[in-house]
Amino acid sequence: MSQTSRVPFWVVRLRKFAVALLSNRLAAVGVFLLALFVVMATAAPLLTPYTPGSQVSGAFNAPTWITAVKGPAGYSQNIQFASLTVNSSAGLTVSQSNQTAQSVDLQLSSQGQGGTINLAETLLYPYQGAPKNFVGSATLVVSDPQNQSFTVAAFLERVGEKTWVVWDPTVVNGTRLYSPRPEIRSDSLSFNQKFLRDSPFTTAQYFFAPRPATYHYTLQITLPPAITNVHITVSKFSMVLLGNTWGIFGTDDQGHDIFTQLVYGARLSLEVGLIATGIGIGVGLLVGLMAGYLGKVVDEVLMRFTDMLLVIPGLPLLIVLVATVGSNLIYIILYLGFFGWMGFARVVRSQVLSLRERPFIEAAKASGAGTGYITVRHIFPNIVSLTYVSLALSVPAAIVSEAALSFLGLGDPTVVTWGSMLGNAQAAGGASLAWWWIIPPGISIALISLSFILLGYAMDELFNPRLRRRR
Amino acid sequence: MGLRGYLLKRIINTFILLLFVIVLNFAIFELLPGEQGAIANLFGNPKIQDPKIIQNLEIRYGVCKGFDSLGHCIPTSVWDKFVSYFYNMLTLQFGNSLKTNHPVIADMNVRLLNTLTLLGVATALSLIIGIMLGVLSAYKRGSSVDSGLVTVSLTTYSLPTFFMGLLFILVFAQNLGWFPSGLVEPSKWILGRPDIGTFILVRLQHLFLPALTLTLFFYGGHLLLTRATMTEALTEDYITTARAKGLPERTVLFKHALKNASLPIVTNAALSFGTILSGAIITETVFAWDGLGRWLYQAIGWKDFPVLQAMFFIIALCVIAANLISDVVYGMLDPRIRYE
Repeated sequence: MSQTSRVPFWVVRLRKFAVALLSNRLAAVGVFLLALFVVMATAAPLLTPYTPGSQVSGAFNAPTWITAVKGPAGYSQNIQFASLTVNSSAGLTVSQSNQTAQSVDLQLSSQGQGGTINLAETLLYPYQGAPKNFVGSATLVVSDPQNQSFTVAAFLERVGEKTWVVWDPTVVNGTRLYSPRPEIRSDSLSFNQKFLRDSPFTTAQYFFAPRPATYHYTLQITLPPAITNVHITVSKFSMVLLGNTWGIFGTDDQGHDIFTQLVYGARLSLEVGLIATGIGIGVGLLVGLMAGYLGKVVDEVLMRFTDMLLVIPGLPLLIVLVATVGSNLIYIILYLGFFGWMGFARVVRSQVLSLRERPFIEAAKASGAGTGYITVRHIFPNIVSLTYVSLALSVPAAIVSEAALSFLGLGDPTVVTWGSMLGNAQAAGGASLAWWWIIPPGISIALISLSFILLGYAMDELFNPRLRRRR
Repeated sequence: MGLRGYLLKRIINTFILLLFVIVLNFAIFELLPGEQGAIANLFGNPKIQDPKIIQNLEIRYGVCKGFDSLGHCIPTSVWDKFVSYFYNMLTLQFGNSLKTNHPVIADMNVRLLNTLTLLGVATALSLIIGIMLGVLSAYKRGSSVDSGLVTVSLTTYSLPTFFMGLLFILVFAQNLGWFPSGLVEPSKWILGRPDIGTFILVRLQHLFLPALTLTLFFYGGHLLLTRATMTEALTEDYITTARAKGLPERTVLFKHALKNASLPIVTNAALSFGTILSGAIITETVFAWDGLGRWLYQAIGWKDFPVLQAMFFIIALCVIAANLISDVVYGMLDPRIRYE
């Protein structure tokens, strides 16, 4: 006795409610799906290190797991040359310090006939497809008060096959910053022209064969005799290969991670759905209670107004509002809220009309309760269950409406929602749509709607005595 | 209240509704900044220097009512604007499109036809499929056929139209190449139409994917409603009587049960017209189907406010008309409705 009394009543009621709800198989599925999306929305920064706007890889990259389906031929992933090593020929005095994966400080002197220093990075290329693009970089800060001349150059070598000079030997003379010109990147026109004229390949396909091989990226410093105490800081010495597959869901036309957009989209969808519905429920409750309980002229006026709003076509009105008032996400939520309460108001009104005639209301009236008291203490608790059902059923409507607007390109341009992902996919696709860009957001919209609908029907069955099954 | 009273009430309601739509349409465009900004831009055009031209423009776009002897503008009041606007809406004079400079009504004709073709085909198909499958589902209630049909229809119903449209383009247009991915007709037809056989065939090919998308979106609602009303109708005594008379099951189902269950289905079809139009806007945009919905969408990009205003009005008018018709039909067919 003392043990049960310690648990507050509402906890007991909530627990009973949860047990009853979860005993319905469909409702359990709905709760599971919804929980999935809520986790996605709240833990978005933990699930992905990127933001929806950050460029992570090349454009239109397929998901990585496509190799498991279609075989590894023709597919590659992002990969980078491994950390640098320094080799120098005999006859040079080299002291290195501050060495990291991509940078090193060198203090050089030469005697006799001079020599070369090679800074090399190695790549064991494992994929059966050529990369889509690559970017190589190197920055040399030379500090030499005596202005002695020597040369630097960079090479790319497919071990045992071929070597390309990617940075033509350049004379270094004096204290300055040097880096490869033209830039070593496959999307640079001048770099491509250096190697391929009128070739159908890209330099990425030209350098990197579609099969496993070993590559060296080498920065060579050639010193003539009698150089003393040149200090060179080499930094950002790296080469990054951008493959044609990426992550769980690939990338869009700007190289954004689709999984990241999807995860953050869950947040926006839930926000839009819940806040808009919250507003709608609030207005609907107010109008329904007033119409039902005050009756007469108030009822007639409010209900005629509700009917009018019900008839006005929703999407055209939304489109017109977005075009004239504005398309900020907050505005869109407000439109959806303030034009989404009518159905609920009618349900509340009819429920209040029937409640008003019940004996317990009459008893309350007889004992001197005022309108406000009766509404809050007697009528309101009896329509709370309706609120849950309506909440569950109008959230998907709000989510889909927002998605439709965003799909048309009329949503908030500053955020990426599931609808705008689909819209962008269509706008960028032209004749060729990327399936990995369409299916995840589309299925997500459908599933989040489905989860709320399942919950709504299950709650309707729990609360609505007419539908309650006999057990 | 008799039938006449009921109809009178409905018609009065419709007129109030019409008034409300006109006021709303006026208020959104007049009191909010979009259109004013567009007009201000027009006058800010540095190429226009001649005060005469500016005066003409100001009169044409309703900024000034006229000019006094000194050439100062007499601004139009909101009330003046509303009166002329109200009159124009009732007489369907929407002015000229800012984009093409043709009257909106003239630009609308062919698009209206396209939209009605798409909507007509999709509505008819979804009604037929929805009702047939709904009857089947109610007849086999509780079986795996029933639950399968309900699940499938709920699924297609919860898939957004734009997603379904994109999927169809991906599969049928892009991968299989069976259907074109958009447009009402091939763009090369501007040069010359082919013979009638090819014409019809190719037009049907273009119609197929958008019509399929809309049909799949709508049939679910019809199926679920038919199933519900049919299930109720099948428990009635007159069905038992009909079966006892030895009538074939098909006659019982379609002549006896469906006939009595069809009333809510027909009214629902009329009432869901607004939803259908919303679906059509999106489907037309996905498939570049040159109809009213796509025009409404394009008008936003063009800041073509007369078109926007006209489209919203026409679409609302269609929905209001559909509501009135469904009310009237219901009132005439079901005697119980008159005594609300």
